[in-house]
Amino acid sequence: MRKKAILFLLFLLTLFQSMESFAKQRFPKPEFESAYTQPETLQPGPRYELLAYLDVLVLLSTLSLISWLILKKRSRKGVFWISIFSLAYFGFYREGCVCSIGAIQNVSLGLFYSAYTLPFTALAFFVIPLVFTLFYGRTFCAGVCPFGAMQDLVAIQPQKMGSRLNSVLGLLPYLYLGLAVLYAATGTDFIICRYDPFVGIFRLNASFGMFVFAGILLGSGVFIARPYCRFLCPYGVILNWFSRFSKKHMTITPANCIQCKLCENTCPYDAINIPITVKNPETKQELLKKFILICILIPVLIAAGGYTGSKLHTTLAEVNPRVRLAKAVMDPVKMQEKPESYEIKAFKSSGKPAKQLLEETNEILRKFYIGGWLLGGFMGLTFGLLIAGRLITNYNPDYVPNKGTCLSCNRCIEYCPVKV
Amino acid sequence: MKHKILIIAGLALFFSVVTYIAHDLFSNSSVKYSKSNPYEYDIQHLNKFDSVSVSYNENLAFRPQMLEMHGVATDYSDRIYVAGNKFLEIFTKTGNLLKRIALDGNALCITIDPDKNILLGMEDRIEILDMDGKLKEKWEPVSQSSIITSISSDGKNVFVADAGLTSVYQYDISGKLIGHIGDKDPHRGIPGFVVPSPYFDLGISGINEFWVANPGRHLMEKFDFEGNLIKSWGITSMEIEGFCGCCNPSHFTILKDGSFVTSEKGIERVKIYTSEGKLKCVVALPQSFKEGTRGLDLCVDSKDRIIVLDPVKKMVRVFAPNIDSKNNN
Ligand code: SF4
Repeated sequence: MRKKAILFLLFLLTLFQSMESFAKQRFPKPEFESAYTQPETLQPGPRYELLAYLDVLVLLSTLSLISWLILKKRSRKGVFWISIFSLAYFGFYREGCVCSIGAIQNVSLGLFYSAYTLPFTALAFFVIPLVFTLFYGRTFCAGVCPFGAMQDLVAIQPQKMGSRLNSVLGLLPYLYLGLAVLYAATGTDFIICRYDPFVGIFRLNASFGMFVFAGILLGSGVFIARPYCRFLCPYGVILNWFSRFSKKHMTITPANCIQCKLCENTCPYDAINIPITVKNPETKQELLKKFILICILIPVLIAAGGYTGSKLHTTLAEVNPRVRLAKAVMDPVKMQEKPESYEIKAFKSSGKPAKQLLEETNEILRKFYIGGWLLGGFMGLTFGLLIAGRLITNYNPDYVPNKGTCLSCNRCIEYCPVKV
Repeated sequence: MKHKILIIAGLALFFSVVTYIAHDLFSNSSVKYSKSNPYEYDIQHLNKFDSVSVSYNENLAFRPQMLEMHGVATDYSDRIYVAGNKFLEIFTKTGNLLKRIALDGNALCITIDPDKNILLGMEDRIEILDMDGKLKEKWEPVSQSSIITSISSDGKNVFVADAGLTSVYQYDISGKLIGHIGDKDPHRGIPGFVVPSPYFDLGISGINEFWVANPGRHLMEKFDFEGNLIKSWGITSMEIEGFCGCCNPSHFTILKDGSFVTSEKGIERVKIYTSEGKLKCVVALPQSFKEGTRGLDLCVDSKDRIIVLDPVKKMVRVFAPNIDSKNNN
């Protein structure tokens, strides 16, 4: 026992040793004490590796706890308190970074750019919620994601929007996901982080513009519950896919549904599938017709989407700073209109020939051409599946949560009169 | 009806966010080319010092006939030596050219030893000339990566600062390498040199002692000939009392009373510190130099005139104490 204690102590000491070596400065810190304002950056300062592991541990613990509270305890209160904790820890304390939503970009960059070393925490934050979702549904969305927790707090007057509007708006996250992957994979930008609405609030340093941006989104969240999660969040798309196959999703009723309809209007996210029973089942001929239509429609939409995406590749590529620079350098008319930017000055002073910049740009454009096909094809497929989903009737006799869109918030549970 | 209005209001707000993102991402008008660098640290205000605190006047300036100049030194009769690419020029103390000697390469630093030898740091090797400019010796380079930026000799020992390998070498006058000085050694309390760019100066200050500018740490460090670190001074600050940037002081020289004359790059200025490292006075402010000037090598003559090599204006500039400050002293 004593031996174990000594070993543990020694282990602790070595950990502190590693913290010390991380803290060591190679050069003295530059002195910026006078009149220097640090510009806003997308990422907060680096974190000790040990504390980064702590973040992963906290993620694992909160996910385990919330999954247990949702599935075993069927507790809404528990979910609420976990979401307050997550908001405080992952939101305000960790300043919204590292987050699972942004980790999509790290993973994409890691997959497509071999020189990039994917940080362990980014990978962990990407994979762990997916694994939990595969087992227990979107328990991560319920109360571990600080973005969701923040929006949940303002959903005061949520309105039902109807399935058609939900489906159409539900296409936006797919587009955002596609763009985020495209821009990360081409090394262009991390757009999820750039347009992160809440990070300024979490870091308590939001500029007026950022504050208005977050305020408007939260304002819309008063009437449309969790607008970011439902109609923008790219990670939500992947969670939606995984959740459809979840082994043990939460259920509204703990036993048999008695069709009392009490839960029908309780879901602020329109995620309850109302019962559709087989009254007039479709004939085999009708089903075959629909099947053939879907089989034709989906490839056509993929091809059309891909073609459109490839045609738009130059527009998509203009987000890339290298392409923008090339455009500005090669386009003297525009350059005359605008005062010379510091990027152009920096390029000129680097002594690099414009030809080299052009070659680099052509290579980037080539990547965007392929990316345009893939993004367009992906959107075509998404649209095709949406239509297919609406053509095919899903018969279910009870009130059940839609496994893809249900955020496992446990609100509806409270309305179910069936107790076990 | 109320239900519909609320949905429309919510959607309007939501779409204003989406529109903003799409516009910011794709619109040409939002091409974010900034006129100014967001990371730029505007140091203009630091250049504006009170010129009253300047205690020296520039009372002589002359132009050597070479395109690239790096090192300046004086000898026992106050002649001024300017070394650079392919040439060494010798001037009288009033700036008249006495001699022009062709060199086999680029001289980065120069010193005159008590035995009237001209010691030149020729990028990676040392060359010794006699007073007529005849090559006496050529020492083997320590390494191809050496960049010799400073040299100083008391007639017996030669100390050489190598910015390429971040080390100081001690030779005897015959060119035998005795050892390295100042390399990081925690047991002897030596933090080691940090030399981010090729500005690394040293100078013998007396019997068994010499000073090295540790530019990355903004320190002046005193060593004995055995390599023990005796003391150091210097503070990191943008203000006039300190040194700042990546490598400062870039050059220094020592006056008769043991005071230090230092020059800096980034914020170009020449200052005098007491032998204890307290700011004494200012010789020249950034206004006296072209912005971006670096490599202001220094030396002093027997009258404590401060000779500054200005490689951007391509001038040798001589500063002497102004009358008022003399009277005050
Ligand atoms: S748990 Fe119930 S209320 Fe919550 S999102 Fe799922 S279906 Fe809607």
